[in-house]
Amino acid sequence: MLTTLTIASLGMFSPQGPQFAPPVRLQAAGKPIQVEAPGYAAPCWHDFDRDGKPDLVVGQFAGGKIKVYRGLADGKFAAGEWLLAEGKPAEVPGVW
Amino acid sequence: MEFNGDGCIDILSGSYSRQDQDMAGLFQVLWGNKDGTFRKPEVLKGTDGEPLIIQVGDGDDAMIEKICTRPTLVDLNGDGKLDIVSGNFRGTFAFFAGEGDGKFAPKSTWLQLADKPLSVSMHSDPFFVDWDADGDLDLLSGTAEGGVFLFENVGSAKAPKFIPPQTLLAAAGHGDAGEDEKFGDAHLVGPQSGTRIWVADVNGDGKLDLLVGDQVTLHHLADGVDAATAKAQLAKWREKQKKLFESQAANQTDEQQEQFQKAYEALEEERTKLVRDEMTGFVWLLLQK
Repeated sequence: MLTTLTIASLGMFSPQGPQFAPPVRLQAAGKPIQVEAPGYAAPCWHDFDRDGKPDLVVGQFAGGKIKVYRGLADGKFAAGEWLLAEGKPAEVPGVW
Repeated sequence: MEFNGDGCIDILSGSYSRQDQDMAGLFQVLWGNKDGTFRKPEVLKGTDGEPLIIQVGDGDDAMIEKICTRPTLVDLNGDGKLDIVSGNFRGTFAFFAGEGDGKFAPKSTWLQLADKPLSVSMHSDPFFVDWDADGDLDLLSGTAEGGVFLFENVGSAKAPKFIPPQTLLAAAGHGDAGEDEKFGDAHLVGPQSGTRIWVADVNGDGKLDLLVGDQVTLHHLADGVDAATAKAQLAKWREKQKKLFESQAANQTDEQQEQFQKAYEALEEERTKLVRDEMTGFVWLLLQK
């Protein structure tokens, strides 16, 4: 019931207020940034390597793994690299 | 975000569920080292020494309130200590009061909208930012159905009060391919379902932009099959599928169940000769005008 009410209330609001440019699918090294099956990309914007350029960190459902796309000077992203924990690709338990 | 006071960036993650006990989406931390590397994930515990778990009631479906956790760190009560607000499968938002240096009270409460738990359709995905630049933190969230929703804080930095949501991006829904089945990914023009968001001024123009991760199932044409042929054959395939399900008896014997299963698997095999499904997710940028 609560869920139904919530969906109804969301539908009452028209998309006024903030306006956005058409969505752009982000790319890295010339290819769309894409996560493994079953999907569920979870982005984070952070200067991961502290070089003054924000990086894109993307979590995924499969294996609970995280990929880091380093921001380049031209605003583009380098190919993704798995985030490491103790030298191996980090895997968050319970996300599979 | 650094949250245990050692000056190193840490990573806090939710999870779907532990598997060794009753279902609960534990919080996992990758503590950062001074050289920028990370330790292996470890379960975040409350000040009682037990794994931090969203507190739920006794209802039949209460379990869905403590799985599929999606935490964010934020000083929501303005006491100078980072708190945790976590999304969950149901779509509500659990609040754990921070006690400083990466420690959190074990009991959670729900963020409220009027006198009910504030929620989105499912798979709540909290992100806090002062969206309207009025000095307090507003809540934005993705949902299982997709979209991005803004719950404005009309309270204060120390006593937030949220109002019904404004749609920043309409939910795409899970979709039903049906006769409009599209192939490949060229038709995608925006985030689909399962939206996970981040807010930042990505292009440095002083306006907050949206980064939106999603979930989508793509359909790729099988080798040697063109789109027109695939559409025509899939229409016939769906008719067969419909008839198969209609033929399913209400109280099947074991033998009937086995026959149904075989027929279902054969039908699925037939479909793979036309299309290959790919479940995946992308990251979208929506620049605010």
